[in-house]
Amino acid sequence: ASHMPGGCEAQISVKSPICVSNHTLYSCLGHKQVSLSRLGLMFSMSKLQSGNGVQWKDSRSQRGTVESLAEHESSSLGSDPELNGVTNTEIQTDKYGFIGGAQQSAGENADIPPDVLRQREAKWLDMLNSWDKWMAKKHKKVKLRCQKGIPPSLRGRAWLYLSGGKVKKEQNQGKFQELDSQPGDPKWLDVIEKDLHRQFPFHEMFVARGGHGQQDLFRVLKAYTLHRPEEGYCQAQAPIAAVLLMHMPAEDAFWGLVQICEKYLPGYYSAGLEAIQLDGEILFALLKRVSPVAHRHLKKYKIDPILYMTEWFMCAFSRTLPWASVLRVWDMFFCEGVKIIFRVGLVLLKCMLGSQEKLKACQGQYETMELLRSIEPQYMQEAFLVQEVIELAVSERDIEKEHLSQLRRWKETHGELHCKSPPRMHGAKAIMAAEPPSRQDLKQNPTIIVEVPQTTESKTEKGKKTKKIKDTKNTSPPPNPYLLPSDPPLPSDNLSPSESQHLQKDTPLQGSNQSLSSVEHDTYL
Amino acid sequence: VNMGTDLAYNFVFKVVLIGESGVGKSNLLSRFTKNEFNHDSRTTIGVEFSTRSIQVDSITIKAQIWDTAGLERYRAITSAYYRGAVGALLVYDITKHLTYENVERWLKELYHHADPHIVVMLVGNKSDLANVRTVPTEEARDFAEAKGLLFMETSALESTNVESAFLEVLTAIHKKVASKEVTRGSISAVTLGPSSEFNEEKRSCCNSS
Repeated sequence: ASHMPGGCEAQISVKSPICVSNHTLYSCLGHKQVSLSRLGLMFSMSKLQSGNGVQWKDSRSQRGTVESLAEHESSSLGSDPELNGVTNTEIQTDKYGFIGGAQQSAGENADIPPDVLRQREAKWLDMLNSWDKWMAKKHKKVKLRCQKGIPPSLRGRAWLYLSGGKVKKEQNQGKFQELDSQPGDPKWLDVIEKDLHRQFPFHEMFVARGGHGQQDLFRVLKAYTLHRPEEGYCQAQAPIAAVLLMHMPAEDAFWGLVQICEKYLPGYYSAGLEAIQLDGEILFALLKRVSPVAHRHLKKYKIDPILYMTEWFMCAFSRTLPWASVLRVWDMFFCEGVKIIFRVGLVLLKCMLGSQEKLKACQGQYETMELLRSIEPQYMQEAFLVQEVIELAVSERDIEKEHLSQLRRWKETHGELHCKSPPRMHGAKAIMAAEPPSRQDLKQNPTIIVEVPQTTESKTEKGKKTKKIKDTKNTSPPPNPYLLPSDPPLPSDNLSPSESQHLQKDTPLQGSNQSLSSVEHDTYL
Repeated sequence: VNMGTDLAYNFVFKVVLIGESGVGKSNLLSRFTKNEFNHDSRTTIGVEFSTRSIQVDSITIKAQIWDTAGLERYRAITSAYYRGAVGALLVYDITKHLTYENVERWLKELYHHADPHIVVMLVGNKSDLANVRTVPTEEARDFAEAKGLLFMETSALESTNVESAFLEVLTAIHKKVASKEVTRGSISAVTLGPSSEFNEEKRSCCNSS
């Protein structure tokens, strides 16, 4: 750890959690040395003396080694750039919340134009309003919209709906609170605590020791070990939970995690890790058809799939890809299931090892693994990767077929599986079919209701606080409550007050039959 | 070694880092191979690795250090990890007695998967936190001796003894490889370049007694 030249005598390492090398204090500050005074003495002694300087609800959470002073400095790093009241303008947070690290974006992807984004948001709000209908009758369109990318403002909500987590939450009201209030098995808590500061340490939400992000991470992971005590905790669940927490509150993230662990990737986090090993074999087998060159190379150097796909699959690529790509992959993953994960893996393998030219550089096990560990950015870039994934002809059927074949092989060499996981659900539709929700389960519960300026008297919804099921025939697209200065004013509508499907109290958007058959003009990928 | 080639090393030794979650394996790796330490290094999931070449008795050795998750359930997938390893650093945290108590289990795991001649060093990490030590040095040292293991206490944070630990292991491996007592082929050290399989032909310049 670096020590300030002529600096304080105590073991205060000015190395922050986001600092990796001895030479830079903050990778994002770009300064070689920063004096304590310049930073306004970010590590106030009082904070250090009081331990983490953070109030944990549960004092048990502070069990564990008494950390050296050096390890406390990160606690003063809040989740915003202000350090002890000193605004540090040099900390650059990217639009996803990363303040450094490999997954911080350098603005390499063009932003979607605001009007397109607004249109998508309106469409998604519409879909969420009558989710069961859309999933039953227009699933192809849902899938298409997931492939295009869920608008950031609705991503968390959409993920919760897609995964069936919303339904789970509604059907188990009070459950999370119950688990949250329980102490938890010390054996698991010990391991979980060790991991809290090791997930996305470059993300502002998780950078602060004992901060809200880490606290919620603890709560979600602990709740899971209580929910499934026979499963306990597996370290790869932490990044999964962290990604969810970046988009939704703890309770929602908990149910999202439940769905991922039980529906999308059953057995991945269970003792024995059999499911992940099997998927590794499936991936390798599928590779033979997708890229015989890559397949042959991996076979030649006896590179076990476990050596390269473990982190990819267990973390659903959240630790591998640039953040924009992670989000796009997850959008598709929640809709279409694990085949997306397989496709990403296959695309990356094909890109990195798919030609003799590329293989010249890695004639050896170690060299190949090194190559797979540093995938070239162009192959992970959002637009490229998404397109490749959509186009790769690997279906659920292919995966299940190979699964059976690999299972047979496994039994021959390892005997019966120790952990018999339930069959996996290949996406949102399958999950919904397996556990059909009631209308009530899908009801949105907005805490903020936006009043849309009404233009005709035929709008009788204004001021209504009670739920009503009505159909409204719209001749125009859903009104946009978030007008940009450049948008035309809301059209005066010739609506007739008829039945509309309101799933919430007072909605500015009316569920329309028209939108179910609207033409998709949005061509942004 | 044929000095006419571009090869910068005589041997490649694969060394694995094993031990409970959170003892500091990843930081030992980064400290040794990159001289870096990170309080919040990410949880290891899957396999991490890094290399560094060092000089041992005028021989250049490329150390290929492998690191993986310490959590119990990951032991199910480690056989590929151990394959070809000629050295191991079995790490515990001197402030967490439980991590030391589990050393026996790790040894069992190691001998189950790895080469019987593998050189093993017991490493007590986090020596910078000696004020809250729970594992006495002498006790651990005696245990190591009884089990035929090398022993060292290190601090990846302060960089104490990290070099020495790896150096000692690599030297011991080299000694074994060069020694005629070792059955040929039982240690699958890769020699003379990145991709050649174990070359059983011994070069006279490497046959130091």
